Amino acid sequence: MDLNAFLILAAVLFCIGIYGVLARRNGVLVLMSVELMLNAVNINLIAFSAYVQDVSGQVFALFVITIAAAEVGVGLAIVMLIYRNLRSPDLDKIDQLKG
Amino acid sequence: MLQRAEILGVRDFYRDYFAVAVLIGAALLMVGAMLGAGRLIRPVRPQAEKYVTYEAGSDPVAGWGQSNARYYIYALLFLIFDVEAVFIFPWAVGLEGLGTFGVVEMTVFIVLLALGLVYAWRKGVLRWA
Amino acid sequence: MNPTIDYHALAPEIVLTVTVAVCLLVDLVARRSELVPRLASLGVLGAIVPVITLSVDGANRTMFGGTYEVDNYALVFKGLFLIVAYLTILVSFHYIGEGDYYRGEFYVLLLTSVLGMTVMASARDLVTIFVALETITIPTFALAAWRKHDTKSNEAGLKYFLIGVISTAVMLYGMSVVYGVSGANKLVGIREYLVDTNEPALFAVGVFLTLVGFAFKVSAVPFHFWAPDTYEGAPTPVTAFLSVASKAGGFVALITIVNIAFFPSKGSWQPVIFVLAAASMTLGNLAALRQTNIVRMLAYSSVAQGGFMLVPLAVAADVSSNSAWEGVVVYLLIYAGMNLGAFAAVIAVARRTGSAEISSYAGLGRTDPALAVMMTIFLFSLAGIPFLAGWFAKLVMFRAAFDSGTTGAVILGVVAAINAVIAFFYYAGVGRQMWFREPDPAVERTAVPTPLTLNAAMLIVTVGVLALGVYPQAIARLGELAFTPG
Repeated sequence: MDLNAFLILAAVLFCIGIYGVLARRNGVLVLMSVELMLNAVNINLIAFSAYVQDVSGQVFALFVITIAAAEVGVGLAIVMLIYRNLRSPDLDKIDQLKG
Repeated sequence: MLQRAEILGVRDFYRDYFAVAVLIGAALLMVGAMLGAGRLIRPVRPQAEKYVTYEAGSDPVAGWGQSNARYYIYALLFLIFDVEAVFIFPWAVGLEGLGTFGVVEMTVFIVLLALGLVYAWRKGVLRWA
Repeated sequence: MNPTIDYHALAPEIVLTVTVAVCLLVDLVARRSELVPRLASLGVLGAIVPVITLSVDGANRTMFGGTYEVDNYALVFKGLFLIVAYLTILVSFHYIGEGDYYRGEFYVLLLTSVLGMTVMASARDLVTIFVALETITIPTFALAAWRKHDTKSNEAGLKYFLIGVISTAVMLYGMSVVYGVSGANKLVGIREYLVDTNEPALFAVGVFLTLVGFAFKVSAVPFHFWAPDTYEGAPTPVTAFLSVASKAGGFVALITIVNIAFFPSKGSWQPVIFVLAAASMTLGNLAALRQTNIVRMLAYSSVAQGGFMLVPLAVAADVSSNSAWEGVVVYLLIYAGMNLGAFAAVIAVARRTGSAEISSYAGLGRTDPALAVMMTIFLFSLAGIPFLAGWFAKLVMFRAAFDSGTTGAVILGVVAAINAVIAFFYYAGVGRQMWFREPDPAVERTAVPTPLTLNAAMLIVTVGVLALGVYPQAIARLGELAFTPG
């Protein structure tokens, strides 16, 4: 298999993720888009790891997976907090602080 | 510096995927046959309660998701412990070479994780209130 | 085969981890809520002890196959982070104790973040840098949203979180490309690759994305927009911690990765840092001029200070000696102290007036001269007035810029000089309010005395700022030591 196929897949996924982060207004969907970006990174890491025959890329991917879980955990908690206070997950309504 | 390593031969690669395609086809066929047979045999008496997400009786939050907000905290606890378990697999493979040291290190890791569970338990998160 | 572990070298991290675990458990069983902050501060002081013994010992200790190093550089920063952590606990003690906050958890999260910082100081490979950076930031997301029922605090937390995860994703994408092209995870390995090979253009893309990720973390313009909102909405002690400790954590990562790994590939990182430095100084200062809220003003000022810190980094490749790197470290150490002091004073004033508007500082020199004197010292130090510590920080920064002598560096030096003048106006504006304006009778003042812990924190920083202003050789020596192999 060609390395480029994996890199292109990862780049496309990453771009979809960025689009989602910028365009989506629902807090939960933004989190899902971030996950997409992180998984693009994982594809990159694994593909490179196999390409250069070095295991540390796979170790890196494991850490990315676990830390992403912790990150999303905290993020969901914050989104839930806001949902409880405002009864809406819509990020456009969160605009008290302007700078 | 970079050396081109063969990940898989192209032909092998597609042959492997052919097996996957056959499996997917078989799965679709089987599910379709079973659901179809069920549809032919069963009586049809629609009731509103049958169509809510959780028949157990908790109401889903309206609007943005088909789930009760209270499930989220269980999902979160499960997710964290489930994902952290990923570190145990490589450890188990290398355990023989690590000896007592490996056991002690993993015990420390699991104890620290368990602390989080103790915290959640003491804060009453695990009780359905 | 057991890996050999040097427990002496890991002692600060082990002490902190044990403290975190003990604090969490004590909070669950103890009824007296002051117990946790006391334990936390003891733990931090306990972690400083091995840092001192390791510095006395002086030997470089490398662990885990070269991914973790305890050398002078690491020890200088570990010391800084632990001292900042101690001061933050002092500042938070009453603020968190008096609000409807979860008191125990606050310190658990704070110390977890500090643990990440001490690891960051020693991290010498991409994976460890990533893990340390996330250990620093994830607890601070929760800390920023600490006031559960205050929607402003919620918003601060959410904005910080979203920017945090997006910047992490961008940084990771960059790191994955750097790893893939160089085939190395260890920073030394990446450097060896760069020395041996003519790197492809893809490598520069990886470096660029990695630096963009870090730029978000240290809130450098144009990736700074989250900072004022998050700083304003978060509880003020948390803001102090974010603007000092997490920013320093990001800077340490940046210095380590550029100094050790990317350095030979000058073309890929120098222009990025150059633009970030010039933009942060200029836009940060111009925005700070317009602010009426002191927390927002300090937020923009910290963006601008970040720009000043990037100046020596931007010219480091053209200076033959280590003086530019020493400049960054010295600036970072001094900035940490004076900024923390300024936020402590903001908390002390807000206790009396309940306001963070700059207009509420009117007449502070008459109503509370001691507090006003300390605030003036912190602000003038931030402005770089001679014979305060901040002056020496600016001096080393300018020296690095003009030492290198390239046209770009001179331009950057001139931009920095203009900005130093602009910055003086808004710092002095607060001073003018405090000393030359009558107290506003409309502002209600409560006669609550400033708590001992808060006073102690401000006094420690004041003494530090004055002492280093008169005797800057001490901190210069620290900077020198950081880049001397032990």
